[in-house]
Amino acid sequence: MVRFLLRRLGLIVPTLWLVSLLIFGLAEIVPGDVARTILGPYATPQQVEALRHQLGADRPLLVRYAHWLSNFVTGNWGDSVILHTPVRPFVFARLANSVQLALVALLITIPISLVLGVLAGLHVDRPTDLAISVIGLALTAIPEFVSGVLFLVVFGVQLGWFPIIAEVPPGATLVERLRHLLLPAIPLMLVLFGYIARMARAGMVDVMDSAYIRTAVLKGLPRWYVVTHHALRNALLPTITVIGAQVGWLVGGLVVVEILFTYPGLGKLIYDSAIGHDIPVLEATALVVATIFMVSNLTADLVVALLNPRIRYARE
Amino acid sequence: MRESPVQWEFGQHLLEELLAGRITRREFVRSATVVGLSLSGIVSLLAVGAKQEVRAQTPQVKKGGTMTVALVPPTAAVDPVTMFDAGAIAVVQQVAEYLVWAENDLSLRPVLATRWEPDQNGKTWTFTLRGGVTFSDGRPVTADDVVATFDRLTDPKTNSAALSNFKGILSKGNIEKVGQNRVAFHLDRPFVDFPYFVSSTNYNAVVLPKDYAGDFEKRPIGSGPFLLTAYSPKQSASFKRNPRYWQEGLPYLEGVELRFFAEPQPQVLALQASAVDMMLATPFQGSQALFTDPNVTILTTRSSKHRAVHMRVDTAPFSDKRLRQAIALCLDRPKIVQGLFQGRADVGNDEVFAPVFPDGPNIGVRTQNYQKAKQLLQAAGFSGEVKITLTYEVYQEVPQYAVFLQEMMKPAGVNVVLEQMTQAQYYGSGSNQPWLQVAMGITDWASRVTPSQFVLPAYTCGGVWNSAHWCNEDFDTLAKQFDATLDKTRRRSIARRMALIQQDATPAIISYWINAPRAVRKRVQGVAASGSDFLDLTKASLA
Repeated sequence: MVRFLLRRLGLIVPTLWLVSLLIFGLAEIVPGDVARTILGPYATPQQVEALRHQLGADRPLLVRYAHWLSNFVTGNWGDSVILHTPVRPFVFARLANSVQLALVALLITIPISLVLGVLAGLHVDRPTDLAISVIGLALTAIPEFVSGVLFLVVFGVQLGWFPIIAEVPPGATLVERLRHLLLPAIPLMLVLFGYIARMARAGMVDVMDSAYIRTAVLKGLPRWYVVTHHALRNALLPTITVIGAQVGWLVGGLVVVEILFTYPGLGKLIYDSAIGHDIPVLEATALVVATIFMVSNLTADLVVALLNPRIRYARE
Repeated sequence: MRESPVQWEFGQHLLEELLAGRITRREFVRSATVVGLSLSGIVSLLAVGAKQEVRAQTPQVKKGGTMTVALVPPTAAVDPVTMFDAGAIAVVQQVAEYLVWAENDLSLRPVLATRWEPDQNGKTWTFTLRGGVTFSDGRPVTADDVVATFDRLTDPKTNSAALSNFKGILSKGNIEKVGQNRVAFHLDRPFVDFPYFVSSTNYNAVVLPKDYAGDFEKRPIGSGPFLLTAYSPKQSASFKRNPRYWQEGLPYLEGVELRFFAEPQPQVLALQASAVDMMLATPFQGSQALFTDPNVTILTTRSSKHRAVHMRVDTAPFSDKRLRQAIALCLDRPKIVQGLFQGRADVGNDEVFAPVFPDGPNIGVRTQNYQKAKQLLQAAGFSGEVKITLTYEVYQEVPQYAVFLQEMMKPAGVNVVLEQMTQAQYYGSGSNQPWLQVAMGITDWASRVTPSQFVLPAYTCGGVWNSAHWCNEDFDTLAKQFDATLDKTRRRSIARRMALIQQDATPAIISYWINAPRAVRKRVQGVAASGSDFLDLTKASLA
């Protein structure tokens, strides 16, 4: 187990290096350039060239990468080339926002999805199962910008129950925070619900069909006891892995939701810095998100290993 | 206030034009303010009780409160010298001021300058500064600050966004302090509309302290009605009332909150939910719900905002003028205006004199005429189907406009292939700037207040944004004469000749001039629409 953990942790550094290299290369392909972003469409070509030179954007790609990397690894994340603001506090403030929203979304999504998924799995091919499966699939198919607008119009504009702007004001209480974050969390829940619930259902169907469950039932144990004490732990293992894989998306991939609900998270920041060629911000944000991806996946694997001794011992 | 002989002579000339019915009363006032005639001078000329232009204010204006405005975020760090987008401009306009503010009817309102006058040929303009104005840090606004401001904006070594505006008109080092509170601008050539270049329409031209070091976000010093108290990139900017503001009793508001939104849709929802009091700009596309909302007022003004469909005159098949003319004749312009804006735009005529410009000529509207279009195509040797590619950016109504063009050209036998790009792709950079390179493209032009601001960069031989690569020396000569001519009748005659040349050559199709709507909640008072999406909240209040 320890060796497994060390191996996975050891993979993080080379993976991040690879990500940084890819991001640097891909940013070159995105149209536009940093000097034009800063100076706008009305600057003369001479002004743009002069600024490119001043920023070092006219140097070879590898030279620029080496320069950035040498600073980054020594803890100097630099300033945003476009916004002139220090990168680290800027990115971490956005990270805190994204994590808050992801947490709220997960806290709503996981219990509902698991309960309904398990319920469907226990009533396979019966009306309960059909209703949960069909509704889950339908909700997953609705893009978040559609459901988001709908929720904003109904609950934000017409009923006025929730703020239209999800950004939490400074010094807000926990209740106030939740009130701001609930509305953007719901479209995320809808997207994730069908996926997680179907995984939970499939796991439950699979486990309930296994020999050890049949034995428990034949022993005369009550059904609720069999489900909670014997089936659930094994049935949810694949679901945990799936949830772990979604955390990275929830933290760093919510461009549409962040735009729609005016929420300052990492997703829109990655998008803006990629379009604007703001390499220090783009690299820092992408690496933070990549780290979240890896850590959340590793955590999910560890939880699975802890819940399932066979996996734990196999890895050892 | 005493007028100079030149100003007085020009005033008399304007009066003659007015009495002869050649200009309207509105044009009289506008032209008089451009050459710096004082209000008392205008009043005495008209010999009627001219009213000072003030915004509609109810006597019981409510003071205090914070107004929240929805707008797009500044693209880059906010710096008055380099700013170019509506977000940054709105931030700066609360804190710093211009010598002159251009109203929607293009008359000029004195701000930090109380008067201005040209020399005999309009090559040197002298501005007198208002006394007793201080920056927010307590230092007085002086002639030295004004000289430094314009030297900075005209310096090729800075990243001034106004540099291209001043090119060929005002050069660094030609701004001179000629007294304690007087500044002279020695122009590169005579330019009648020069006061606009130091006004709000040249949005970078806010007067900053002499020692401004490009650190506006850290030291936001200006003489404006508000003080910037907090700025969070891509999120918001907070302002509070400037207690040192020179206009007594103003501003009415205690504070202003600028809230940045990436897209118009969330702005619309925020306005409907009363989370914001107004939208800085309300593009018709995506905001239709607001136009029928009973809780929202739509302020509107004409503007010179338009889309130019350029055709490269040096590239086949557009090198033949008859093809360009034929394409222009395919368009049903009123239908385009109706389809794209439900009528909220003026029909364009393939020349740069927008209806909002007072010296614009009336050369007759180019109407749809397929028969003539087909004849022109035949005469040009296009016997079968003509295949052309139209490149355009994804921006507001432009994609729909491209489809309109495609459909309208079809009956004349012109097959248009559409090539869509993102804005970043379309404008590109370095050697890859499709908007200046493709044979036919649709480019969005922001509003300007003088025709020359379109003519010089886009339609003269050396124009930096001459997408059509069109060059007509007669047109260039006329453009220079237009800029140097004070006489209204002569100026209008020159404009007419320019318009006819341009329409005949058709380097670009200009089929509409977009009105600028601004959506505000009913409680908002003292705010006007702006053709350039500018934000003057000096007299704004909340009911």
